[in-house]
Amino acid sequence: MLTSEHAIVEFRAGRAVVDCLTRKTHGHYTGYAERMLAVYRQGIGRERRWLHQRVEEVFTDEPDCPARRVQAFCKLLDDAAVFAADAGGEAARLRVNVFSRAAAMHPLVEQPDRLFENDPARVKALIAAEYGVDWNDIDRRLYADVMSFQPLEAFADDLDAGAFLSHYNVAQLQACLYRAQSMSITATGDLKTILRYAKLARLMHEIVRLGPSRYRIELSGPASVLRETRRYGVNLARFLPALLACKGWRMTAVLRTPWDATAVLTVSDTDGYSSHLADPRPFDSSLEEAFAEKFGAMREGWRMIREGDILHEHQTTFVPDFTFRHEDGTEVFLEIVGFWTPEYLAKRREILGRFRRRRILLAVPQRSLREGVVPGENVVVFKTSLTIKPVLAALEAVRLGPRVPEP
Amino acid sequence: MTEQNAVSLSFDGGTLVLRGAGAGRREPRGEERGTTDASVVPHPSSIGAGWQWDDRIGAWRCEAMAYGRVVEVLRGRFGAAMRDEVPTPQRVAWPSVNLPALRAEQVAALDAWEQAGRRGQVIMPTGTGKTEVALAAMQRTGVATLVVAPVRDLMYQWHRRILRSLGCDAGIVGDNLFDIKAVTVTTYDSAYIHMGRMGAGFGLLIFDEEHHLPSRCRREAAILSTATMRLGLTATPERADGLHKDLDYLLGPVVYRMPFKQARGSTLADFEVVRIPVALNDPEQATYDQCSRVIRHFIAQRRKDQPGYTWQDLCAESGRDPQARHAQKAYYLKRSIEDRAAEKLRVLEDIFRLHYGQPTLVFAGSNAMAIDVSRRFLLPTILSHTRKRERLAVLEGFAEGRLPVLVANRVLDEGVDVPEAKVAVVIGGLGSTRQAKQRLGRVLRKSGNVRAVLYEVVCEDTKEVHRSRKRRRSDAYERTRHRRV
Repeated sequence: MLTSEHAIVEFRAGRAVVDCLTRKTHGHYTGYAERMLAVYRQGIGRERRWLHQRVEEVFTDEPDCPARRVQAFCKLLDDAAVFAADAGGEAARLRVNVFSRAAAMHPLVEQPDRLFENDPARVKALIAAEYGVDWNDIDRRLYADVMSFQPLEAFADDLDAGAFLSHYNVAQLQACLYRAQSMSITATGDLKTILRYAKLARLMHEIVRLGPSRYRIELSGPASVLRETRRYGVNLARFLPALLACKGWRMTAVLRTPWDATAVLTVSDTDGYSSHLADPRPFDSSLEEAFAEKFGAMREGWRMIREGDILHEHQTTFVPDFTFRHEDGTEVFLEIVGFWTPEYLAKRREILGRFRRRRILLAVPQRSLREGVVPGENVVVFKTSLTIKPVLAALEAVRLGPRVPEP
Repeated sequence: MTEQNAVSLSFDGGTLVLRGAGAGRREPRGEERGTTDASVVPHPSSIGAGWQWDDRIGAWRCEAMAYGRVVEVLRGRFGAAMRDEVPTPQRVAWPSVNLPALRAEQVAALDAWEQAGRRGQVIMPTGTGKTEVALAAMQRTGVATLVVAPVRDLMYQWHRRILRSLGCDAGIVGDNLFDIKAVTVTTYDSAYIHMGRMGAGFGLLIFDEEHHLPSRCRREAAILSTATMRLGLTATPERADGLHKDLDYLLGPVVYRMPFKQARGSTLADFEVVRIPVALNDPEQATYDQCSRVIRHFIAQRRKDQPGYTWQDLCAESGRDPQARHAQKAYYLKRSIEDRAAEKLRVLEDIFRLHYGQPTLVFAGSNAMAIDVSRRFLLPTILSHTRKRERLAVLEGFAEGRLPVLVANRVLDEGVDVPEAKVAVVIGGLGSTRQAKQRLGRVLRKSGNVRAVLYEVVCEDTKEVHRSRKRRRSDAYERTRHRRV
């Protein structure tokens, strides 16, 4: 990730325009990217500052290249590289040792006289002799732990020019979000994933239903309700790659500009950003597909709606896989659970407890059930695929069972 | 349900959450939030302290900082029916107190702070024992305390001082450590990051070099904590951006201020400022002049079309124009030549000869120059990335006289205890008042009647001369004898 010192963003008429290198606007950057990667690939053993200087030289005659962009490239290249960091503190020990030896001969003077007779060359030779090495060897190791003097040990060999530039674009977007106070997402698909990753990034959400399968999710943190704060910008930046991997969304973030005004950043899934996360879609989606196909749109008075509604009770959300609506108005939600451990069951129970005014069915595969576990009410157990019959039976049981108070 | 009816106050991510005190009306975002539904009484928004209705959790929310006031008001209103779930800070019994007797002005500072309800700021010049005042405050309050320091080495220094004076091994949050104890030391940056999690654990907050606190982000360290007792310490509260006014509401008002002049001569040693101009050598001067020509030429060209063309315009243009970038680089090269002029090393040699046997500090303007000095004279450095073990070894070696000179970049500007240095040499740096004051504070520590000397080594006929003049305008330099060599 970049730091805010690397961020390149322009604020024009209340909108944030983030630096983005596309094939259309910056086609020639692919060549630069290849040259930069070559600097690192062929630079094993070179000091970090040497590598940075070479990268800077790549852009000497390029008219369109702010200094920050070069620094950001260097940072991202460094992130993909391994440097000899002297974790053992060898250089520090060497310094304390060498300087202690030299202390008795202080000051080292270029023109020795009767008062001060120790010239640097002599003292260095003396100390080197005590170590039994050449002074140049000591001199090279003396400050080897300083960032800019660290030598390159290895560099990612799977990074190509296209991936590197795409990585840069995402990183700039993230760096821009450090300024963010809040984020609002309009989503039509992948709602579960968006909410799951928002939670992982320790964000709070607010959900508003805009229409069938269309929601607005507001993301911020605890203190956001009290004052405008950039405190959660880092969380929002951390969450971004997950969002980029999703489909069917449009995001608007409110940013605080350096002049203390606000500006808006808008990004959607059609903007061509690609994320480095694996496809977050759950592995068992084929199971849902198969069931939906078998059931059809309507069966025995029950209409089936896929991901029809999101239930939320403050910070707890429940995204059922299916909503069933009977002709008499009864509404039942079904979630297919992929795995099931006692801990997961307990957690699920607690969540369902908060939605006790709703009718919710869980479908659980037989193989996930441990020996001797008795599934509770409203649980449909299935073997390899979920069949119609037990689900319909459970739906009817709910419909004809004790009435629950209306929400 | 009874649970819903009970009024409860809890800590959540640096804020206070109040449940069971009625509901606010749901408001669309962006408009005024949290107006109350008149049918339910009593309403937190009428209590003050900035309560806002948070629809995301269905409860009232306010800043953790308001805790003291909030509890008082809620107790008055709900009495025992209010459940306070905010953790009470632990009491601390100090294992072994070993504090020196406080001087009169230190006692005055401490008393003033206590009388102000254990809130507020104490302003005392460097070297007059702010740390001792803070340690005495910790001892008297005997409650879980968080000390916030500007940088890592100051954090470790607080850790050592607390161990020595109060016999308590404090926890550390920062420098890749997250070890919270009843008494903990941290840095401003770590405090900002972690206060949402640890803000309810402490009764007393101490902000060392408090002028770092009011910046837009760092101030949250004070806002997100429930601590009712707060102490801010500094020699120089003023900030160029004027935000120091906010310290009053973050920590409490200034309760004690000791003027710099009063400190001089009594607690601190007298000192002398000697300015030594140096010239660039021929190759340096040639490059320097070439750079100057590049910049002048570029700006002259631009001004033909744009008469008001400035340095800012040049910087803004550097991303689009290789020529502008070239000029910008020339400027940085000039700065670097001034900073690392070879002549400065020669002058240093003279100073080392002259003050042989006297502990000497060298302040460099950059890491690169500090390392230049270190390599040339084989002297130890303290840089921003120097690790704890080496830092300690170097500081101890210097204090015990085993190491004759200590070279630092700007890290040592503030508050790091450097014992009994009598000679300081500034060979580069910025021209801000605060830096000058803090740097003087280093040399001025009283020990015996030896007069301290501060050398300023500056390149003649360069920008550095202006910076040196600016530095001397600081009131810290008043009544000092200025000499030119």
